[in-house]
Amino acid sequence: MRKSYIKNNIKIDEFDALIKVTVEMSRFLYPYIRKLLQSKDDHENNSVIWNDFENRFIELINERFNINSMKVKKLLNQTENDEILINYLLTLSLCISNQGYKKLKNFLLNF
Amino acid sequence: MQNRLLFHQSSVSLEIIGLPDFSNDENKDQISIISQWKLTIIDKPLIEGKIEHLLPIMEAFYIYANHLVQKKLPLYESKLIDIKADNLHLHNILLKSSKPDVEPLNIKIGNALLADTINCFDQLNESSKVRLKNSYDFKNIPRKITSLLDNKVQLSNLFLPPLIAICSLTLFSSTFIYFYSPVEYKEKNELINKK
Repeated sequence: MRKSYIKNNIKIDEFDALIKVTVEMSRFLYPYIRKLLQSKDDHENNSVIWNDFENRFIELINERFNINSMKVKKLLNQTENDEILINYLLTLSLCISNQGYKKLKNFLLNF
Repeated sequence: MQNRLLFHQSSVSLEIIGLPDFSNDENKDQISIISQWKLTIIDKPLIEGKIEHLLPIMEAFYIYANHLVQKKLPLYESKLIDIKADNLHLHNILLKSSKPDVEPLNIKIGNALLADTINCFDQLNESSKVRLKNSYDFKNIPRKITSLLDNKVQLSNLFLPPLIAICSLTLFSSTFIYFYSPVEYKEKNELINKK
């Protein structure tokens, strides 16, 4: 999905390390993730945070991802990507406990 | 004197009240015999009950959240609690009382409050100060295995296509063997050579 001509297969240790980093980041960023979810929950009165996040997300995807891929096109489509973004944020917000690493690994292996 | 422990996450707090099990030489701070618990969600009615209610409620939240994340049908129904999704960001919780004259309690929460509640339950599960009997092993079972157990059709889907392929291959090759006669073929070859 990324803009790259080299295909590198990720090793299991690297996969584990990335999950650990992601869990630590989501623990650190939990208040912000929560605010994003809350903004989407009450979108009529509190839409600024969600809209800012969505715009920045699309900017980053355009900059770093291969926009010819169908999966990436789905992420860029603002009418379709709501469900995907909420799912990602909810997954991260559920994995902030000490055992969050195991939870996130389970979620990813069943994705 | 009962011990009280508070697990807090943003807008949700879970209070556990109980006693240590002195017969197991536990510390004074420990809680092994839970007598009461209270789940406080800001702007929502207080949810409280006994240990026999806490465990099914925790289980319901965990199963529902797993379904939600895996994009399965987000619905959980039991004698004590029903949880279903109204839409992408609104979850409808119906708590049914075991007493006959008490009306069920309906609470609607968003994704943020759902995440807070589950994080409170996670803190309780991971706390060394509370010993929960019948703690949830299902959290540790890889979901790939549980989904295989849940859905036996998948196993048949795995083995059926190669089986059909082998059967059809055998059938076709046996018909060709039936039509092919090596004597006729030899005679034809001899005629060609004579010419």
